[in-house]
Amino acid sequence: MAGIVLKYKIPQFQEYTIHVQKYNNVTNSSELRSKLAELPFAYIDSKTVISVEQLSSAIYKAILETEYNRMRTRTIHSECILSLSPSSNIGDALNRFGIKEGTTDIIVIKIIEDSNEEPYDGNASVDGDLVPVSDDEFSTSADKEIIKTVCIPCDKL
Amino acid sequence: MVNLNGIPPRGKRNYYLAIGLEGSANKLGVGIIKHPVLEKHEDSDLSYECDVEILANIRDTYVTPPGEGFLPRDTARHHRNWVVRIIRKALTEAKIDDPTKIDVICFTRGPGMGAPLHCVVIAARTLSLMWDIPLVGVNHCVGHIEMGREITGAKNPVVLYVSGGNTQVIAYSEKRYRIFGETLDIAIGNCLDRFARTLKIPNAPSPGYNIEQLAKQCKNKEKLVVLPYTVKGMDLSMSGILQYIDTLAKDLFKKNLKNKLLFDSRTGEQLVTVEDLCYSLQENLFAMLVEITERAMAHVNSNQVLIVGGVGCNVRLQEMMAQMCKDRSNGQVHATDDRFCIDNGVMIAQAGLLEYRTGHFVKDLSETIVTQKFRTDEVYIAWRE
Amino acid sequence: MSAEIIASIADVLTDNIPLTPISQGAEAVVFTSPVHPYLPKNRTDGDDKLYILKYRPEKKYRHPVIDKTLTKHRTLGESRLLAKLRLIDGLNVPKLIGCDPYHGCIWLEFLGEDLPNGHGFSNLKNFLWMNASDPYSDLVRDTMINVGKQIGLMHWNDYCHGDLTTSNIVLVRAGEDWQPYLIDFGLGSISTLVEDKGVDLYVLERAIISTHSSFANRYNLWVLEGFKSVFESHGKAGLGKYKDLIRRFEEVRLRGRKRSMIG
Repeated sequence: MAGIVLKYKIPQFQEYTIHVQKYNNVTNSSELRSKLAELPFAYIDSKTVISVEQLSSAIYKAILETEYNRMRTRTIHSECILSLSPSSNIGDALNRFGIKEGTTDIIVIKIIEDSNEEPYDGNASVDGDLVPVSDDEFSTSADKEIIKTVCIPCDKL
Repeated sequence: MVNLNGIPPRGKRNYYLAIGLEGSANKLGVGIIKHPVLEKHEDSDLSYECDVEILANIRDTYVTPPGEGFLPRDTARHHRNWVVRIIRKALTEAKIDDPTKIDVICFTRGPGMGAPLHCVVIAARTLSLMWDIPLVGVNHCVGHIEMGREITGAKNPVVLYVSGGNTQVIAYSEKRYRIFGETLDIAIGNCLDRFARTLKIPNAPSPGYNIEQLAKQCKNKEKLVVLPYTVKGMDLSMSGILQYIDTLAKDLFKKNLKNKLLFDSRTGEQLVTVEDLCYSLQENLFAMLVEITERAMAHVNSNQVLIVGGVGCNVRLQEMMAQMCKDRSNGQVHATDDRFCIDNGVMIAQAGLLEYRTGHFVKDLSETIVTQKFRTDEVYIAWRE
Repeated sequence: MSAEIIASIADVLTDNIPLTPISQGAEAVVFTSPVHPYLPKNRTDGDDKLYILKYRPEKKYRHPVIDKTLTKHRTLGESRLLAKLRLIDGLNVPKLIGCDPYHGCIWLEFLGEDLPNGHGFSNLKNFLWMNASDPYSDLVRDTMINVGKQIGLMHWNDYCHGDLTTSNIVLVRAGEDWQPYLIDFGLGSISTLVEDKGVDLYVLERAIISTHSSFANRYNLWVLEGFKSVFESHGKAGLGKYKDLIRRFEEVRLRGRKRSMIG
């Protein structure tokens, strides 16, 4: 496993192994953006995530919907990005929480279904500095103003 | 503890005789009952164990043509035409040659429809003056409750009172039948009756009975027609559901192909039948009733339910309630059959006689005014601890 | 508590989430668990932390379609309400952790603690019992005023609790004081109606009278004092609203909550 990866399982969904990585000073954002459809990862703009709890609650919701209801997007990874959003508009969610032109700090989610897939080798196709995942790290790169705009329903602002 | 033997029966007998007159809606009922004088009632809380003997239970129902409901004026006319006949029939069946031997004449003081109530109380007052027998005015709901307790032997259940005019969840506490939950608009029987009118199904023996039979014939039970579910805390509301399902039924009759719920959008094939609507309506309404009953049971820590009132005859409602009671620490549901579920004179006699035996009866005719609004919790239940 | 009910949810959550039942109402069963439903374990959360699971089991008496829809609707409704309430400055409600509407599950933070000397869990009911020997102390007075403030804040923002009993107010230690938290919004709603707010106040008043009748008068006055202060802080408009509310509250008191109905 290359570098420091947060790896865990959700207690009631032992079939999935979840990996979270953070990259700072990313240089190939545009390349990643153009290949989003083929790359089996969730690439998230760090400015929109303030804590591990926020991220893991979205991952929980994504798996819950997949297992107990139905996926609203095409992959479990895009489902994670949708689950970060308070609205169910997929386009909005991907635009707001996904990586943009010039995003330098990225959070990567990789979910492996243990019975079907090979273990994750840690290569997320990102050119950047891999840093340890923690609340401190997330809150440092988070942008509170952006989070207020995208996370809290408009009528509450 | 309560003493039910305070006032001895007339003529030094060892039993009480009471006649009850009921006519708050379209059923006119006359009942005659006998309570033996038992020592156990001197100082106890056994008003549900009176060992009642039913000497007569005569009833005539004013049935209107399909698609029509009953109006107060016509109902009162029906009662006026029948009351003497029915009283005579009851006396004959009870083998009472000398009516002056009766201890008390009980009548429905309310709640109900004004004109019919009035008609019946006039009959009661007349008998009282003719035979010189005291009168007791009875609350219709309390009549149902006391009859239910006596017939089923349920000591202190949560009561679900469901009829054409009432929908209440009641539990006894400190001399009152307290209302825990009720309808915020129409009664469930009223909802079912009005839907029956929309469907133009016959009103005999009763519209609710016919909806029940149609529901049984539903062949599509897995695919329920989704209706609004309107429980609000401990209460429920039904006018919205009625409006919605009336619209569905009308669309069905008009063959409104635009209604995608009822007709396939491509082939125009009919997807829902009248039986399906009846089934879905029952499942929805009854689930709401069972839910508010369960809430009341949790509140007072009880696992017994007594269902009274005309809609209590419905077998599906009894089934659902029984399932809920069973899941709640093995509780039980009690229900009576249509002799007592449906409005009758015997229940008025039962509640009236209990009140009489605790020393309460009308001292002056001015106290016999009937009233359309008469809440169950306004009655002081002197015969219970 | 029905073994069947426990088994049904334990099945879904698997052995990895141990559950301890703590109460059962008409609609839901409440459990505690030492395991967080989704947080990665390598976090410093404290090993003895507990989480609350509020579970709405299926009701066999109703049609499966009605049951599933209702459970989902209620679970989502309560969760959304809690999330909105949490955004109100100064209002104390439990933090929503997770929501599974397909099984009727709501995960919440655990609030409160066990009171000393076997007085039970730190809800308002037990707290008042514990202080029965010194019922009019500053501590009790301040706590009741704070309870009033919480309700005032909730009503000012046009939310109603729906079941405001003394068991549904949990006290959380804050230094020497106790901070009241409102819990269990299963019957809660957004409402601008004075009727609904009046009923909230009435239910609490009755609850205090029925369990602490000797001191109830003072307790209820303190609650209203705190309640009023929230409205007063919004000037004339606030005071106007307060007067309307109290008027309706008194009407509700007279009626005994139940509306008059035709027979």
